[in-house]
Amino acid sequence: MRALDYRTRSRITAWVLGALTLAFLAYQWLPIFTLGVLSFAGPTGGTTFPMNGTSFHWYQELWRATVMNDFKPPLLRSTLLALACSATTVVLSVMAAQAMRGQFRGHGWFFYLLLLGIMAPGILVGFGFAIMMRLLGVELSWDTTTFLTHVSWTLPFGFLTMLAIFNRFDKKLEEAALTLGASRIVAFRRVTFPLILPGVIGAGLFGFSLSYDEFPRSMFTTGPDMTLPLAVMAQLDRQLTPEIYAVGTATTFFSLFAVTMCTFAFWAMRRQVQGRNS
Amino acid sequence: MSTIRVRSPASYWLAVPAAVWMLGVVVVPIVLLVWVSLWSGRAFSPASPLTFDNYAKFFANPTYIKLIGSTVVHTATLMAVTGVLGYCIAYFLVVKVRSPRWRLVLFLAFIVPFWTSTLIRAIAWVPFLGVNGVINQTLMFVGVTQSPIEAFLYSRAGITMAQVSLYTMLAAGPVVYMLNSIPPQLREAAMTLKAAPFTVFRRIIFPLTLPGVVIGQVLVFLNVMSDFATVATIGGNKHALLSNLVMLFYESSQIRGASVVAVMLMLCMLVGVVVALRVVDIRRLGA
Amino acid sequence: MDALTRDPPQNAAVQDPARPQLDLELRGIRKRFGGFTAVDGVSLKVEKGQFVCLLGPSGCGKTTTLRCIAGLEEPDDGGILIGGKEVTRDPPWQRDIAMMFQDFALFPHMTVAKQVGFGLEMLKKPKAEIAKRVQHVLKSFEILELAERKPASLSGGQRQRVALARAMITEPRILLLDEPIGALDYSLRETVMLELKLLQQRTGISFIWVTHDQNEAFSLGDLVVVMNHARIEQQGSPEDILQRPATAFVAGFVQGNNVFRGKVVGEGAGVLSVETAAGTFRVPAIGTPPVLGSDVSFSVRAEQLTDAPTDQHPNRLTVQCTTVEYFGAVRRHIFQRRDGELLKYDQFGAHAQRVAVGQTAVLGWQVEDSVLHVGVAR
Repeated sequence: MRALDYRTRSRITAWVLGALTLAFLAYQWLPIFTLGVLSFAGPTGGTTFPMNGTSFHWYQELWRATVMNDFKPPLLRSTLLALACSATTVVLSVMAAQAMRGQFRGHGWFFYLLLLGIMAPGILVGFGFAIMMRLLGVELSWDTTTFLTHVSWTLPFGFLTMLAIFNRFDKKLEEAALTLGASRIVAFRRVTFPLILPGVIGAGLFGFSLSYDEFPRSMFTTGPDMTLPLAVMAQLDRQLTPEIYAVGTATTFFSLFAVTMCTFAFWAMRRQVQGRNS
Repeated sequence: MSTIRVRSPASYWLAVPAAVWMLGVVVVPIVLLVWVSLWSGRAFSPASPLTFDNYAKFFANPTYIKLIGSTVVHTATLMAVTGVLGYCIAYFLVVKVRSPRWRLVLFLAFIVPFWTSTLIRAIAWVPFLGVNGVINQTLMFVGVTQSPIEAFLYSRAGITMAQVSLYTMLAAGPVVYMLNSIPPQLREAAMTLKAAPFTVFRRIIFPLTLPGVVIGQVLVFLNVMSDFATVATIGGNKHALLSNLVMLFYESSQIRGASVVAVMLMLCMLVGVVVALRVVDIRRLGA
Repeated sequence: MDALTRDPPQNAAVQDPARPQLDLELRGIRKRFGGFTAVDGVSLKVEKGQFVCLLGPSGCGKTTTLRCIAGLEEPDDGGILIGGKEVTRDPPWQRDIAMMFQDFALFPHMTVAKQVGFGLEMLKKPKAEIAKRVQHVLKSFEILELAERKPASLSGGQRQRVALARAMITEPRILLLDEPIGALDYSLRETVMLELKLLQQRTGISFIWVTHDQNEAFSLGDLVVVMNHARIEQQGSPEDILQRPATAFVAGFVQGNNVFRGKVVGEGAGVLSVETAAGTFRVPAIGTPPVLGSDVSFSVRAEQLTDAPTDQHPNRLTVQCTTVEYFGAVRRHIFQRRDGELLKYDQFGAHAQRVAVGQTAVLGWQVEDSVLHVGVAR
C-alpha cells in the first residue's frame, strides 16, 4: 500500500488539531454558559437542570438581599479597590519600565524582583503579609493591606507590558525631540507618553482585572469588610443557590465589558498613533 | 540618547517605589514565613526561641507526607494534560489556521476567559459535575449509564477537569508566542534540506518552542500547586492538596503549622522551577 | 571545495542522447496570490551546469519563480522538470535542489557542524560519513574553527559561508539562491561573488541566482533572465541583454541606455524613421518591419554617442549638459532632452574633448547603434 500523500496527511493533522481546539473551546465555555443560563432559573429552580421555568427571581433576590448575603457593598469595595490598583499599577509600571531603560546598576535584579511577584503564589504572599501585619500590629482592611498585596500582584504584569512596549519603541523619536530643543521631561510628556499610551491602557487593564478577581491574597489580608470574591466564596460555603450563579454571571459580564472597553480604547489609540506616523 | 540617561540617578529613583513595594509585600513576608515556621512554644511572639520541632511534627505524620506526594502527582497530571492540549491548540492557531480573521476569533475565544474570575469559573463547574449535574444528565440521556456516577463532584477527577479548563491557557500562551517568533524561512530551509514535515517539526519547530513549553509548564505548576480555591470549591472538604492544608491550619489559628506547610509548599515550588531551568536553559535558548 | 564533485544523478530519468540534458525546465508556470498574479507564464530552460540569474525589480515575480522551483510554492498552472523528471506537484524534500535564503535562515539552536550535516542526516547517511564530510566541507569553506559555534555568534560573512556549506553538502543538481549576498557588507560582495562563480564552475552544479542588482547578474550569469510584472521580458547572455535589449523596459532597467519612444513615419532599405518628442531618428529594422504609424521604442547606449558627429552619425540631438558624474574610469554626462527626459553620454578614460556643465552640445550616433525593441512599447 502506498503511503498517504503529504498534503492529505497535513490536512488530516489540521482537522484533528482543529477538532481538538474546538472541543476544548466548548469545554471551556460550556460551564460559563451553563452558569449564565441557570442564573435565570425559576424561583423553585435548583442549582442544576431542570430550571423550573425562567425568571429574574435570583437577580431580584440579589438586589433585595439582606445583610447576610448582600453583595452590593463587596461589589463597591472590589470596584474601588480595582480602580485604585489600576491607577497605582499604571504609574509605578511606567516609572519602573522607564527606570529599566536607564540600565541602572542592579537593573537585572530589579527585573527578577518584579518577576518574583508573578511567580510567588498568592497563598504564600497573602499568608506571609498577614503575619507581618500581625507582627507590626497593623489592623487588616480591604483598603489598606489588601490594596498593598494586590498591587504587588498587578504591578509585575503592568511592568512586563510596559517593557514590551518600550522594546518596540523607536528611540530615535525621542532623540529627534531632544535635538529639537525639548528637555527630557518635555520630550517624555510630549513624545514618549503619547506613543506608549496603548501600553498604559494595557497595564491599567491588568491592574483592574487582576485585582477585581483576586482571591487568595484577599483571603488573608482583608478585614471584616469582604471584597466580592470573598463574599462569593463565603456564600458558597453557606449555601449553594442560583443566586451565586447570578452574581457570577453579573461579574463575568462586568469583567468582559471592562476588557472590551479597554481593548477598544487600545485599538483606537494604536490607530491614532499610527495615523500620526504615516 | 533617550528621555532617560543611562545610569543616571533618576533611573534609580524611578525604580525605588516598585522595588520597595515588591520587597515589602513579597520578599520580606515570605522570609518571615520561614522564621515563623521555626518558632517554638505556642504564643504568637517574635521572642519565641527557634527550633525544628514544627518540622519534626510535620514529618512524623505520614498523612502529610502522603499529601505532598499526591499534590505532586496531581500537579504532574495537570502539567501533562495541559501541556499536550495547550501545545496542540497553540500549533493549530498559529500554524494551521490560515485566515487571519478566524485566527483572531478563535484566539479571542481561547483567551477571553482569562480575563474573568478564576473563582467564578471554578464555581461554574459545580452544576456540571454534581450527581444531578449536566454530565450525569447527559450520560443518562444518551444511555451510557442507568444511574448517576458520583465520581465527578467532590472528587479528584472533577478537580482535574475544572483545572484543565482553567490552566490550559497558561500552557499554550508562551508556546503561541514562541511559534509566532519562528521565521517561516527556517521551516522552508529545513524542507529544502530534505526534511519531511514531521522531521521539520521534531528537529526545528519543537526545539525552538521548547522554552515556551517550559515557561508554560512552570506557570501551570505554580498555579496548580497553590490553587486551594478550586480544590475547595469542587473537592468540598473531601479532598485537599498541600495548599489546602495551609488554609486548614490557618483557619484553626495554628500559625506555626501553617507556616511549616507553606515553607514545604515553597520548597516544592523552588525544586520544580530549578528542575525546569535545568531541563532547558531559557536564557541560552532565547539568544 | 574539490570534495563537491557530483555523484551520479539519483533519479536519473531515461535520457534522450540526441537532446542536451536539461537540469531544469519551466513550462509556462503561473502563480496567483488572491487577485495578484505573481508569475504569469514563465518558461525557461537551464542546461547542465549553467549559471542563471533572474534579474528584475522587486515584486517582478523572480522570487516566486524561485520558490516554485524549490517546491515552496505550487504553481497554479504549468510544469516544472528537474533533470528531466516531472516534479511540479512534488514537495521540496523530494526535489534534487538546495536553497540559500536571503537572510540565510540558519537554525538558531544548532551548531555550525550540526547545521551543515543536517542535509546528510536527512538523507540517512551513516554517522561516520556525515562527520567526515562535514569536516571536509567546513575545511574547504575555511570555517572549520566555527564548527561548535551557534549562528548568533557569527558575523555576516561567516553566516553566508555556513549557509552555503549547508546547501552544497548534499550536492544537489540545482542550487537556488535568493539574493544570497544582499545581506552582506558592500565591501565583501565582490570577493564572495568571485568565490561563488569559481565554486559553481568547479562543481558543475547549476546555480539559479535571484537578484535585483544588474552588476551581480551581468558579472555572474551565463544566462540572464530579466523579469517584470510577472513575465520574462528577455533572456539571453549578458552581452545580448546589454547590447540588444528586447523591450523598452529592459533598455530602461539596464544601466547606460537612452530610451526613445515614438511612431514609425517612414521605411526604406531596412531602416525605419521614427518620430519622437526629441526629434526624428533612423533605426535599423528587425524582422518584419512594423506598419507605418505604429508605436515603437528603441534605445542607444550612452557610450555609443559622440559629441563630434560626422557624416556617419545621421542621428543628432542638440542638448544642454546639466551634470557630469564619474563611475570609475567612465565619465558620464547628463543632458536634458527637449522632451524633458534625460540623455546619458559616457566617455572613457582621458578623452580629449569634454563637455562642461551648462554647455550646449550636438550629440550624434550611427544608425546601426540604435536598437529597435521587438517587444511592444509598454
